[in-house]
Amino acid sequence: MSTSEILFWFLSVLALFSAIMVLVSKNPIHSVLWLIVVFFAISGHYLLLNAQFLAIVNIIVYAGAIMVLFLFVIMLMNLNKETEPSRNIWMKFSGVISGGLLLWIFVSATRSAGEIVGKTAMIKEGSIGLIENLGKVLFTQYALPFEISSVLFLSAMVGAVVIGKKQ
Amino acid sequence: MFSLEGITDAIYSWLNSTFNPTIALLIEFAIVVVCVIGLFAVLGLVLVFMERKVSAYMQIRLGPNRVGFKGSMQTMADTLKLVLKEGLVPDGADKFLFNLAPFVVMIVAMLILAPIPFARNFQMWDINIGVLYVTAVSSLSVIGILMAGWSSNNKYSLLGAMRSGAQIVSYELSAGLAVLSIVVLTGSLQLSDIVNSQQDGWWIFKGHIPAIISFVIFIIAVTAETNRAPFDLAEAESELTAGFHTEYSGMRFALFFLAEYVNIFIVCSIGAILFLGGWMPFHIGNWEAFNHVMDFIPSSVWFFGKVFFLIFLIMWFRWTFPRLRIDQLLNLEWKYLLPISMFNLLLMTLMAIMGWYF
Amino acid sequence: MLNDFFILMKFELLPAVIFFVLLFIKVGTAELSNASIIRLANILLFINLVAGFFYNKDGGMFGDMFHTNALIVLQKSILNLGIFIVSLQAEAWLRTHKHVIEFYLLLLSSLMGMFFMISGANLLMFYLGLELATIPLAALANFDLEKRKSSEAAMKLIMSSAFSSGLLLFGISLMYGTTGTLGFAQLPALLNGSNLQVFAFVLLFAGFAFKISVVPFHLWTADVYEGAPVPVTSFLSVVSKGAFIFVFASVLYTVFKPLADTWYHMLFLLSVLTMVIGNLFALRQQNIKRMLAFSSIAQMGFILIGISGSSQAGTASAVYFVLVYVFTNLAAFGVVALVSAQTGKEDITDYKGFHATNPVLAWVLAIALFSLAGVPPTAGFFGKFFLIMAGAAKQNYWLITIAALNMIVSLYYYLNLVKALFMDANASPVPKITFGVYAKLAIVICIAGMVLSGLASVVYEYIYNLSTGF
Repeated sequence: MSTSEILFWFLSVLALFSAIMVLVSKNPIHSVLWLIVVFFAISGHYLLLNAQFLAIVNIIVYAGAIMVLFLFVIMLMNLNKETEPSRNIWMKFSGVISGGLLLWIFVSATRSAGEIVGKTAMIKEGSIGLIENLGKVLFTQYALPFEISSVLFLSAMVGAVVIGKKQ
Repeated sequence: MFSLEGITDAIYSWLNSTFNPTIALLIEFAIVVVCVIGLFAVLGLVLVFMERKVSAYMQIRLGPNRVGFKGSMQTMADTLKLVLKEGLVPDGADKFLFNLAPFVVMIVAMLILAPIPFARNFQMWDINIGVLYVTAVSSLSVIGILMAGWSSNNKYSLLGAMRSGAQIVSYELSAGLAVLSIVVLTGSLQLSDIVNSQQDGWWIFKGHIPAIISFVIFIIAVTAETNRAPFDLAEAESELTAGFHTEYSGMRFALFFLAEYVNIFIVCSIGAILFLGGWMPFHIGNWEAFNHVMDFIPSSVWFFGKVFFLIFLIMWFRWTFPRLRIDQLLNLEWKYLLPISMFNLLLMTLMAIMGWYF
Repeated sequence: MLNDFFILMKFELLPAVIFFVLLFIKVGTAELSNASIIRLANILLFINLVAGFFYNKDGGMFGDMFHTNALIVLQKSILNLGIFIVSLQAEAWLRTHKHVIEFYLLLLSSLMGMFFMISGANLLMFYLGLELATIPLAALANFDLEKRKSSEAAMKLIMSSAFSSGLLLFGISLMYGTTGTLGFAQLPALLNGSNLQVFAFVLLFAGFAFKISVVPFHLWTADVYEGAPVPVTSFLSVVSKGAFIFVFASVLYTVFKPLADTWYHMLFLLSVLTMVIGNLFALRQQNIKRMLAFSSIAQMGFILIGISGSSQAGTASAVYFVLVYVFTNLAAFGVVALVSAQTGKEDITDYKGFHATNPVLAWVLAIALFSLAGVPPTAGFFGKFFLIMAGAAKQNYWLITIAALNMIVSLYYYLNLVKALFMDANASPVPKITFGVYAKLAIVICIAGMVLSGLASVVYEYIYNLSTGF
């Protein structure tokens, strides 16, 4: 097993484990912190694919900014174990069943997909994730989606300001 | 001639000739870890002592002067005291997070050291997006602070952590934009490239007024990001006891304390690398003789000299400016610094396109 | 080249220009009164609508990101018309609102998103357009700022749309994983119907189904419609859904043509479920907005029948029905908006004896309800007729039978409301509603549209000729 493979398995197990912990943690703060671990693991995967820029942006945006805002809100709401609403056991049961079925279908569909079985990802090669190439693609081929996303943020900001301004 | 580069090269070639590459790599890792921890310890001791001496000088008093030569062993004694003290955990605290928080803050500080070039060819990891890496990792320290504030189960701690979070998240923007303006000039995010581009002059001189503006914004923003006075609302003693680390004692408190100083060191070294040429000696145009003399001073001395100059500047702020109120703090960022730095970035881009720099 | 840019992207650029004009008015120091802002916005939207009819061209831009043709121009014009009528009707409610400009800003950005979504020839463009079309709507749903129900509606809308976006993105990424492309032009050749692709397609389909609130993905609809301000509700139910229907039909017919067998069965099942459940729930609603919500769910079921026809008539009938639906549903919502803005009454029992005090509005509402039910002389009849004809081409008579039965069920609750309007006595009827020139104009447009688009067969023929085959 090469170093990249070891890293891949380590990061994947870490990401899955933390994602499960996000769901099962009783305390919302712990969930958020586990989610930060998930983002780190995902960033590690980006690094393995030689997409350093994406890895770093993932950390800046998600772990550094969005999750901090999450923490803010949840800490101020002072949620803890006692305020966690208890769910119906049948709801949990049906949730597990339907989620498991979805997972089952997904796994079996993936296993039967001829296009991707047996192919490995390009580890440490491919240059599309480097900032220079990404910038070029973003400003030529994907210029329109890039601009649309700026309009999207502007309008989201207008909406947030209106909602936030009501006393 | 003596240089850090020579030492590392010698160690590297010896290791590789003695062991096989994997083991050599592992030993190098171990050496780096030991060096970083050593650097942290030394920095803590030196900077705390420096702060006390600088503040004493500002206030026309002597400062520590009993332990060791002119009080130089005072911080050593303080550290010993902190190590021996009992670390208390409050009753209603979230024990795991409470214990984890100081280490998170510390590890984040350690991670940022990775891409910093301390001297000519003396760098742990020359990642090709070094500047972004530093910005990204430094934004994580807020998570440790929020953890500490929340898990203490104390309203002062929580308030301090909230203030700190708001402050770090907002000042990150203008710090990032100031950094970007230098990136625009060099065309590279790699820290070694940025240093090399300042061979014939530092950016603060080559980049005219916009570079000076971004330097000023950068210094203000990083002062706020490290929660230093006049932006130390997170631990405003008169309002919040000690902010997010009110409940910490003993070694855990020492870690927070140390992390603050290490963070100052890191942001100042980033400032030195971006604006003051990192380890590049001071050169003036065609003065061959002068430049040659300057080259004789080792690069590590240049680097640490610049960094300590900036650290002195930040300490100077602490003892001269009164603390801001939280609304003033946020107004300063969102209404003044951010628009100015955005405009400055545009100006810098124009300069870079037109080639209006030396 | 530059000329092309302006002509091809005219529909997107105009709302963008209006957006920035209004934004600068807001940011600027001049304090305009609500009345003058509304007048300005309506004039601009009218210019936007009219400008859409001139100087159009087919073509693509930005590589394979953006394309437009005569049918897309028509679809965008229908949406432009819808937003203009919504804006006219909103006047009664906006007159006293604190954030008039923001209302228009969000409305326009949503419209821009729909246009980009319709014109996008790439799954990425489609996704971004979809987000731009829905996120401002969630903020709009909260525009009755002091009402808790409005906040609840916004919360439900944003949660359900985030969930559906999640499904959609998962589908898109799987689709990209199996084919290696996101372009609409390249995708059909690469779709081979493997299990993973079908799974990805189902996720994509579910994302769409959320947006057009097809049963089992309809749960957000009634609550959001009830809580949101009436103009926003009418925008959501007509313009937003219309845009998604347009994209849905064209994506199914062009990009996912190789998976036609799969989606035909899905459409069959979902349309039956949607019609039956939509109608059954509409029967027992007390709030008129909830009733219209469930009726709009049921109408979506009929549209799915038309789309399942997979022929040129399929596209044409769906587009035609949306055009009719714009007039019909906006007429109904227009009356509800006026009553709600002036009296705050939204229950069906409040509408008893409506004819006695407000004969004109009662007739407008009645015509709209007849059209929704599909009673012959109105346009709604022709809309449903063409949809069912298109669906019948597949020779699936079960579907047609169920659709016919559902039309009878829907007739019951629509006529029940009409009976309440004209025949039932009410001790405290809705007082005389006064309405201004904006509302009058909106009502005239809606009534004219309902009658003309039904009677003039040239409308359907025009749409049919523009539609692409299967």
